[in-house]
Amino acid sequence: MASTQHVLLSPAELAYLHASLSLTPPIRPDGRTPTQFRPLVAETGILPGTNGSARICFADGTEAIVGVKAEVERTKLSRVGPADELEGTRLVGDVVEGLAGAGGTENITEKEEIATNGADWVELSVEIPGYRDDDAGTAFLSAMLAEALLADGEFARKLYINRRFHWKLYLDILLISPPLSYPLPLLSLTTHLALLSTRLPRLKSEGDEDPFFDDDWAAAPYLYPRRKGDSGKATSKPPVSLLVMAVGNSIIFDPSKEELAVADVALAVSIGEALSSSSTSLGKKATTEDAMNLDDGEGRSLRLLSVRTIDPPSRLTPPGVPNATNSAYGAATATQKQPEARTAELEAVEGVWKAPRGGAKPLVMAALVQKVLEKGGVADEVLDALDAVDLV
Amino acid sequence: MPITIIAPKQVRHPYDAQHDIASDSSSDVDSDDSIAGGADLEGDISMKSRPSKKARTGGAPSTASKFDIVTPGEVITDDPQWMRGHGTYIAPATSSIISSVAGTVTRTNKLLSIRPLRARYTPEVGDLVVGRIVEVQAKRWRVDVGATQLASLPLSAINLPGGILRKRTETDELQIRTFFAEGDLLVAEVQQLFQDGGAVLHTRSLKYGKLRNGVFVAVSGMGGGGGVVRSRRQVWTFDAANDGGQIDVVLGVNGYVWISKHVETPEGVIDKTAGITNMEENISATMYSSQNDRIEPETMREIVRVRGVVTALVENGLRVDEDMLMRGYHEAVEMALVSNDGQDDVYLGGERGEQLAAALTGI
Repeated sequence: MASTQHVLLSPAELAYLHASLSLTPPIRPDGRTPTQFRPLVAETGILPGTNGSARICFADGTEAIVGVKAEVERTKLSRVGPADELEGTRLVGDVVEGLAGAGGTENITEKEEIATNGADWVELSVEIPGYRDDDAGTAFLSAMLAEALLADGEFARKLYINRRFHWKLYLDILLISPPLSYPLPLLSLTTHLALLSTRLPRLKSEGDEDPFFDDDWAAAPYLYPRRKGDSGKATSKPPVSLLVMAVGNSIIFDPSKEELAVADVALAVSIGEALSSSSTSLGKKATTEDAMNLDDGEGRSLRLLSVRTIDPPSRLTPPGVPNATNSAYGAATATQKQPEARTAELEAVEGVWKAPRGGAKPLVMAALVQKVLEKGGVADEVLDALDAVDLV
Repeated sequence: MPITIIAPKQVRHPYDAQHDIASDSSSDVDSDDSIAGGADLEGDISMKSRPSKKARTGGAPSTASKFDIVTPGEVITDDPQWMRGHGTYIAPATSSIISSVAGTVTRTNKLLSIRPLRARYTPEVGDLVVGRIVEVQAKRWRVDVGATQLASLPLSAINLPGGILRKRTETDELQIRTFFAEGDLLVAEVQQLFQDGGAVLHTRSLKYGKLRNGVFVAVSGMGGGGGVVRSRRQVWTFDAANDGGQIDVVLGVNGYVWISKHVETPEGVIDKTAGITNMEENISATMYSSQNDRIEPETMREIVRVRGVVTALVENGLRVDEDMLMRGYHEAVEMALVSNDGQDDVYLGGERGEQLAAALTGI
């Protein structure tokens, strides 16, 4: 649940929007097809002082920048005994799996302790102009983005340096325009790009000694390693969260503010790429090598990381008044004592707005998620398009 | 293709040339201007770039004209031969003209003025505006018209149902929300201005009242050549292509635009009231309806097309008036014919919008 911003639209507008979006195919107020995103301008490497950064600007003027900073931090372990190497690394591997939210019940206390540390390896801050840092909506957004990132399962492993040290990532996500529409897709896409362009200094030390790094920035490997060869595409991707909504029988992607105002259901669906079994071996180096062996031809398999319902503002909208009960419509109509109090309970009349009531139907939810995960569907194309952005 | 990602346009940096000069002349630059070195940790701009800016303030604005955009507080000239116009001020005890807004410098003979990049609407008496009710008070509504202040619409300035010249009563005051409630859109005229720029609206004409059967689009910013301009006709009806029926367009001077299906006088009202002696009275009754009529998908599609043209015009910095909008609409219909999806394709964002603007300005 999230408190989305309240939109002020007249009942007549809402009724019109609802009618036009419920058509098959839906007619969106900006003429897009149901699965079409707003055109966007994207670039990376805009902040020279960061490990990775990106900027995305939607055509409607909303714009976000994300900066990623990395810092070496001592891993808090309760027991740093002279345990054998293999077990130590395995331990972290388990922890990473524990982070995936599978809810491992067999975890012993020590593992859990590290698991909480693992979640601390990433610090995410979201800033929306005009909203407080601890505003429910902002907190929800950052929790959602962090959740998707950690649910990936592979992420914490990328930050692992050795048993005593790890990278700590600070993600600063800034919306630099007023929030004209629910900013989740924008922030998520920008974060995705920033993480794709993130590079960490190359590790020169070995084993558990104090880490020291190659100061040649050109040699710094990407956080999400690239394939060798001309494509230069990332072998694994950061997750991406998409906003999907349903009105009537239509499923609509990347809704604008007006569209969200008439949504029956709105979902934030986070997806990542499924891990291939070969890349589950430990250590960043191993992953890189494995990744290089992967051939370009294989299809992408998407993995659902999380689904969150977004409370659409439609539920808070005032209902329209049908002409039959409108005392200002037609002088002859008898005046009631409290006209507004009655209207909420009326039957649906065509052309009159009535806020959706009740929860989302499981079938609709399933259809929404299905539509996102479809092979060759929207998520696939979004990931491809983001991949095509030049990384600086 | 559900998503299009455009590479950012190269921004021409007006101060680039000057930065180079500044960093060359001074050897003790504390942070590189060339950015590649890293972030400026102090978070402030290198002071070394200031003298270069100073250098051109001495000259006439002919130097300034090379740099299109000025920012608030920037000295445009300190030559006393120039007169200050809109968007500028003269600092006390000096003769330098300083910009008070971000915008482009325009010179008319010896008058210097700044056209703001973005500006809020400044109401004038007689303007036709589209507004949204944001607050309901005891005897008036507060209306958002895109100005610096909310406009007010007194209960006494609307047509009350049951007679155009009826006196407002206490019952009307109690039922104020049945006329307009929060969020309602209305078209009105500016009747009066306060000293501080606040406007008082009225809807005492059959042309005005609550809006329904259509979509709203806000076109902000009137500077830079784009946006709605005051023109001969702000409200008109036209026949849409592709069996779209008739469509009404209301271009509020404040940049709020309403595009809706054209509705003839509804029969229902005339049937209901006993005498048809007072036509005005009957029509005025429909003024407060918030129930949409049945709208065909074809009409909806054409309404969206018009909306797309409006946003495309604004995004490309063109003015929005009847002539441009109609030309743009016909161009958009033509463009849809050659697109893959045929005439049903109403998308005009991104490249299509640029294409449309190019076609319009090319003529």
